[in-house]
Formats: sequence, structure tokens, C-alpha cells
Amino acid sequence: MQSKLSDIELIEQTLAGNQQAYADLVKRHQRFVFTLAMRFTKGREDAEEVAQDCFIKAYRNLGSFQQQSKFSTWLYSIVYTTAMTFLRKKRVDTSSIDDDESYIQIENKPSAYDTHNIENKSRSYYLNQAIEQLLPDDATIITMFYKGEQSLEEIAQALNMEANTVKVKLFRARQRLKEKLERNLKHEVKELI
Amino acid sequence: MNSIEEQLWNYIDGSCTLAEQQAISGLIAQDEAWRIKYNELLKLNEEFSTMDLDEPSMAFTYNVMETIRTENAMKPLKATINKRIIWGIAAFFIVTIAALVIFALSTINWSVPAGNTSFDLNIKMPEQLDSNHVKSFFSGGVVKGFLFFDLVMGLFLLDAYLRRKQSAKQH
Repeated sequence: MQSKLSDIELIEQTLAGNQQAYADLVKRHQRFVFTLAMRFTKGREDAEEVAQDCFIKAYRNLGSFQQQSKFSTWLYSIVYTTAMTFLRKKRVDTSSIDDDESYIQIENKPSAYDTHNIENKSRSYYLNQAIEQLLPDDATIITMFYKGEQSLEEIAQALNMEANTVKVKLFRARQRLKEKLERNLKHEVKELI
Repeated sequence: MNSIEEQLWNYIDGSCTLAEQQAISGLIAQDEAWRIKYNELLKLNEEFSTMDLDEPSMAFTYNVMETIRTENAMKPLKATINKRIIWGIAAFFIVTIAALVIFALSTINWSVPAGNTSFDLNIKMPEQLDSNHVKSFFSGGVVKGFLFFDLVMGLFLLDAYLRRKQSAKQH
């Protein structure tokens, strides 16, 4: 069955001219690529544009994929560079991960969740809300580590950094995420009282 | 020295050495503060793993495929070079070298005159390959024509290179 084919097999079929194989590859990775794009753009429309751009770039350069790393690692490196270029174009402030005072302030998007009580809100909702409040670099590393099935070395490869740097960044990102999560939950509790 | 939290994260991720791992296991078992922090981080680690992935629009794959529908994926260079071309080039050189060797060997005067101790290699070139005859091919007109062809080829290749560069920039 087509869905059981590995990424490499789908790539080989794509290179042989089977575009349906590439469609399967897109379907397999689209959620993660879109999520990563969301971490940078903070908006669905822009994220969709960035994610589509990534898959188009990947298709055009599929022949240069050396198969020395996982396809996903190679794809995420494209996502990272495309998203960074997008941010530069948009002139969004993407200050250093070490700059504690420069968090991007985003408005809480109105959603159906806001009308519910804290009891009805799942922990995962607060987690996703806290991730949205992180800097793009922090959110990307956390997402790649927990959802991208990427090791520290693979994340380093995708982000063009040293593995040790990624390790330190992951540690700091987790601390910040923990703080955001606690702050958001405290805020909700106060509102209810 | 790393903080307790940093060491515990390394322990949870499995990114510390075996010696560190053993030392931290001992601390977790013996020290209450370490155990509390470890359980807290372990819970947090589980919670982080539950994060949701966002879903793109239904038309996402369709939009991507529509954009690339008319394009071909860039094939790796090793796949685009036809092996028959390589074998053809190899055959051309082998035949040329073999022909030259046969020709050279057939024109050598192998006989050694009596009483002559030194071997005198006497290769006679055919009249068509006489140096004056060859020089006539490189008259002024031929050289100018060759240079003109080079110039046109150079401009053509430069144009192709600049177009490729521009196209890469647009993408």
C-alpha cells in the first residue's frame, strides 16, 4: 500500500516522475510543517503560505537531497530558512532567544474556548497558548523536540547550529514555557475568583 | 556546574554520560529535593509531549500540487547523466588511442641495418599530416571563424547562467 512506503521510497518515485508520490509525502508532513510555520508567523494565513512555499522548494530541490539525513530533518531546515526569510520580509521583531525582555506580545485570539470555564479547558489548550507566546526560536525547538521525532543532533542540523547550543536553547525554552504555562493558569484562576 | 534542573533535564532526555546518569539516579533516590524536582520535570515532560499540531486547510495538498503540476523535480546529477553517453565517450577515446597506436606501430621501420648497434626509430608521417600541410588549416580566416564561434558560445552560456541565477532568486 502507498501509505506504507517510506519517505525515501516516495522520493525515489517522485524523482521518477510520479507526482502522486509527492502528494503523499506532503500529506504525511503537512501538519508538522504547518505547525512549525505557525510558530514563526503566528497567523494561519501566513503559515499556510510559508508551509506551501517550503513544499514547493523541497520539490524543486529534491534531487539535491543527499539522503544522509532524514527527509524530515532536511525539510525542517527548509522550513526554518523560509520562515526566517518570511519574518525578515515582514520585519517582525525576532530578537535573540537570550533576550528575556523582548518577548513577542501576541493577543489572545478569541475562540470558543474563551466562553468556557477553566474546568472545561484542557491542559493542552493552555500548553498551546503558552507555546504561542514563546519566541519563534523557543517554540520551534520545543516543537521539533517533542513532536518532530528529531534528536538534538538532527535539530542542530536543521537549524544550522551546534548540538550543544540546541541543548542549552531547549533547556531555556522549557523554562520559559513552564513560566508561561504557570502564568496563564494563575491568570485564569484569578479571573474565576 | 549545571543547575539541578539542567542536570535533571539531561537525565530525562538521556543526553548525559553514563557516570552522570548513575550519579543523578543516586541523588534522586537519596535526596528529597532532587526527587521532588525530578517528578515535577517528568510530569512537565509528559505534558509537553501532548502538545497539538495545527491542521492546515483542506486544500493545502491540492494547492501545493497545483503549483508544481507542470514542473519536474530536479533529478540528481548522477541520475540525469545517461550511462550510454559515458560509454560512448569512453569508446571514442579507446578507438582513437588504439588507431593511433596501430598507425604508429605500422609506420616504424623495425629493420636494423647490419653493424649498427643503436636502434634507429624511423617513423614516417603520411604526407597529409605534414607540418606545412597542417599549418595551412590554421590560416587567418579559420582562426577568426573559430574565435567568433567561441565568442558566440561564451555569450550564449553567460546568458543561460544569468537566466538561471535570476530564476533562482525569484523562487
